[in-house]
Amino acid sequence: MVEKDDLKKINFFKDLSDPILEKMGAIAQLEIFDEENILFRQNQEQTLLYMLVSGKVFLNCRSASGESLTLDEVSPGRTFGVSALMGESSSTFTAICAETSKIITLSGEQMRLLFEEDFQVGRTLMLKVIDLFNERMEMHTRQFLHSLARHPDII
Amino acid sequence: MVKIEDLKRINLLKDLPDHLLKIIANEAQLSIFGAQTHLITVNEPVNTFFMLIMGQVAIKRELTPRIDVILENIQSGSSFGSSALIKESTANYTAICQESSEVITLSGERTKQMMKENHELAYRMMLGVAKQYKKHLDMRAQMIMKTLDKNPELKKDIKDIENLTLVI
Repeated sequence: MVEKDDLKKINFFKDLSDPILEKMGAIAQLEIFDEENILFRQNQEQTLLYMLVSGKVFLNCRSASGESLTLDEVSPGRTFGVSALMGESSSTFTAICAETSKIITLSGEQMRLLFEEDFQVGRTLMLKVIDLFNERMEMHTRQFLHSLARHPDII
Repeated sequence: MVKIEDLKRINLLKDLPDHLLKIIANEAQLSIFGAQTHLITVNEPVNTFFMLIMGQVAIKRELTPRIDVILENIQSGSSFGSSALIKESTANYTAICQESSEVITLSGERTKQMMKENHELAYRMMLGVAKQYKKHLDMRAQMIMKTLDKNPELKKDIKDIENLTLVI
């Protein structure tokens, strides 16, 4: 169990009402992971939502040619693994602790059960996820068009 | 009004229980649009959610005043215009029928009202939209990674590759 005040420190949850946070806190876990601990691997099914309280996590991606690329360094307050909320989704990257990290985890399956019991909670969380996805999709499209304009030989 | 069987052909709705499909069926319209019909026009408000039963619709963006880029060709079973279900917004793309297309439409205003009244409908529709976005984002991320793999010189132009990870 995790106190709602701890969940409020997480960006993804900061606008949520206390009753929703209490429900999520009841199914959340606070865990300490050692440096170099692999939280999940690229192409594996995503089962947990991760919220970093302290420490640092690297998100790495391996390309088809085998080259590894660090896409992001996750800092405290940020959430990753949102596809666990939707089920049937595998991860596009590997998450590895860059240092000892305190992480709140929420089981995707339990979250989905909570959504089935309280559709309003589900709707609120899904809208937040969609807002993020929509913003990222537009960003990717702009980047893609920008790259095409600068490198027309790719077309 | 449309048949529940037609709604079940739409990927986003295929997991919805019949009692919700019935509500949607009562509000939805089935229309046939000719080739080259603009269903959504860039910079204009998106008021309608579209679900393609048959035909093909191109999602286009302008690269230069003389070149349009087709970002996606929407096929049967897919949907677009989901921003009509979420909030008032203007389109950042144009959707044009590539051939005569059979399309189920839902009024954004009316659907938003229904979702306000029925939280189960809202959750299940939003879950469907989120899954659809995730699928597209994963495809884009794979395309970007593949392109960077083939053209490593492009990496220096990318300042925000972390946005591929969907960290919040």
